[in-house]
Amino acid sequence: MAEEKFIFESMQDAQSIKVFLESLMQGFENERVVLASNGDRIELTPTGLLEFSVKARRKGDASKMSIKVAWKENRKQLNVTDNAISVSTE
Amino acid sequence: MITFEGLSENFKFIILEVEGQVNATLTFLKAPSRSLFEKIESRDDYIDNLKTIIENKCYSRLHTDKHLDKREVNRIRAIHTISVNLERIADYCVNIVRQMGYLTDHSFLHESDYLPIFAEIQDALKRILPAFERDDLPWALAICRAEYELDRMYKDVFERVLTELGTGRDVQSHITVIFIFRYLERIGDSLLNVGEALIFSTLGEKIKITQFDALQRTLSNSGFQGSLQDIDFQAIWGSRSGCRIGKVDAVPGKEGEDRRGVDTQGSIYKEGSINKIKQERANIDRWSTIFPNLVPQVYGYHEEGNNASLLVEFLRGCTMDEVLLTGSEELSQNALFILLQTLREIWEKTRTNAPMHTDYVSQLRSRLPAVRQVHPELYREPMDVGPARVPSTDELLAECSALEVELEAPFTVFTHGDFNVNNIVYDHVQQAVRYIDLYRSRDFDYVQDASVFMVSNFRMPVFEPNLRQRLNWAIQEFYGFCTTFALQNDDKTFQARMAFALARSFYTSTRYEMNFAFAKEMYLRAHFLMEKIIAHRDSPWHHFVLPQDVLYY
Repeated sequence: MAEEKFIFESMQDAQSIKVFLESLMQGFENERVVLASNGDRIELTPTGLLEFSVKARRKGDASKMSIKVAWKENRKQLNVTDNAISVSTE
Repeated sequence: MITFEGLSENFKFIILEVEGQVNATLTFLKAPSRSLFEKIESRDDYIDNLKTIIENKCYSRLHTDKHLDKREVNRIRAIHTISVNLERIADYCVNIVRQMGYLTDHSFLHESDYLPIFAEIQDALKRILPAFERDDLPWALAICRAEYELDRMYKDVFERVLTELGTGRDVQSHITVIFIFRYLERIGDSLLNVGEALIFSTLGEKIKITQFDALQRTLSNSGFQGSLQDIDFQAIWGSRSGCRIGKVDAVPGKEGEDRRGVDTQGSIYKEGSINKIKQERANIDRWSTIFPNLVPQVYGYHEEGNNASLLVEFLRGCTMDEVLLTGSEELSQNALFILLQTLREIWEKTRTNAPMHTDYVSQLRSRLPAVRQVHPELYREPMDVGPARVPSTDELLAECSALEVELEAPFTVFTHGDFNVNNIVYDHVQQAVRYIDLYRSRDFDYVQDASVFMVSNFRMPVFEPNLRQRLNWAIQEFYGFCTTFALQNDDKTFQARMAFALARSFYTSTRYEMNFAFAKEMYLRAHFLMEKIIAHRDSPWHHFVLPQDVLYY
């Protein structure tokens, strides 16, 4: 299975970072986040159960906070079949 | 007789030496002497060495000889255990002769007290080698029973000396006498271990003498005529329910014919606390009157002190987890279909239209210490994430407990009580499912069985995508069935109660899961459900929607 990846690294201040955080919040509300760079595009649909963790640490004058959201996409109607998950319309 | 070069010789020697040590100790008690004292002490060193030699040989044999069969391995293990205990007996002998120095007057020791005790010990020691060489179960049992005799005799002496101590005279000597007899009594403890090792060597199973008696009586209550060597006892240890469970089969006769009096299908032997076993029998009786073929037959039952044992029919077929994980697609579909049909029939037939409060939170709480013992990390303290407050596990439980009071099941059914996927047996030939492990059966909310069944599928540590898909499918079918049943029976708070029951099942299941990441997954789901329940607190419970995603991994 090919892995799709998106990386964005930047410097912000308290004012400018809001734009991105709000944009992500909007994405959760719409259950759709589109990330694109240089023609590569990755579309995430955060639905169902979202594993959410906040980690923070401070050592001397260096502080760090990481926010992680993980989930499994596309839970569909399941069949007993051993083949790949099949989709049925109800 | 299987022989082990050298080892067998050493084994014979240690028995002889310990017999000699016991005899010398007896002589010393009758007539103490410095030379005999030294002899006993130096023999103890020799016995110590002999034990070490035997221990080394046992381990090296087990380690290097890959061709040993199970029986030979069992015999080596028995030799080891017996030798360790014999060496301990020799130590007690030394302790006894050392104590003699504290007697102010030799007459405090009465021959009539210690002679029968020594006779019992000597008799037991004499039986060890023949019992081992001939696989003689009655002799092994006789050695075990020496312990009871010795205990009884010790108690008599102890009580008498205690009375004499009451006079306040010769305290040192009286205490010394108690010490001497106490060591003799401890020789009995070691003899019991020796006897149990001999039973292990013969039967190939670790079985305690008390269990052995219980098994024997239960078998004879079931009408079994033969001796215990006519049955093949396979114990399955470490059962979760706290009962010891074993499978009992008839050993085929010489010409391959079955022994009379034992069901050729075999049976299941269960032994445990009287309350559990008695309850299980009562539940099986009740199930049989409603659904005669659903549960195993009871062949025998026996009570002894705080314990009871039960011999029940061994059911043909495989458990549902085996079906789902190893069966074909068609077999799985068929088995699940039959299970759901059976369940519908049971729920409809045993339905009682009286509302009942559920106790999911208190069930969870009572298991929380066990959960925290396995996974201390799976417990949340209160936290703040910015202005957002994260309630602790305790707070969630307290609030859910208060909310659960508002809910009741509109009716009850006769539940299995521990409706794990491996407590359901599917018989393909009969096209039937059967229930096992029934001691928790009671009239209760059907949601409990439903939740336990689904989480027992979920919690199987199976991550191969196709198999996981199979489990998710089974959960989905089952949940669909439950939803329909709830709808048809006008059960309006089904989804809310399911959330409580699932939170309980997920959280308590973590105590069986050593894969931390997987256990954490279940713990997080339980907390998620409790948070959902609390978020709904001011709305009517029949509006609660279960977040179905929690059911699938």
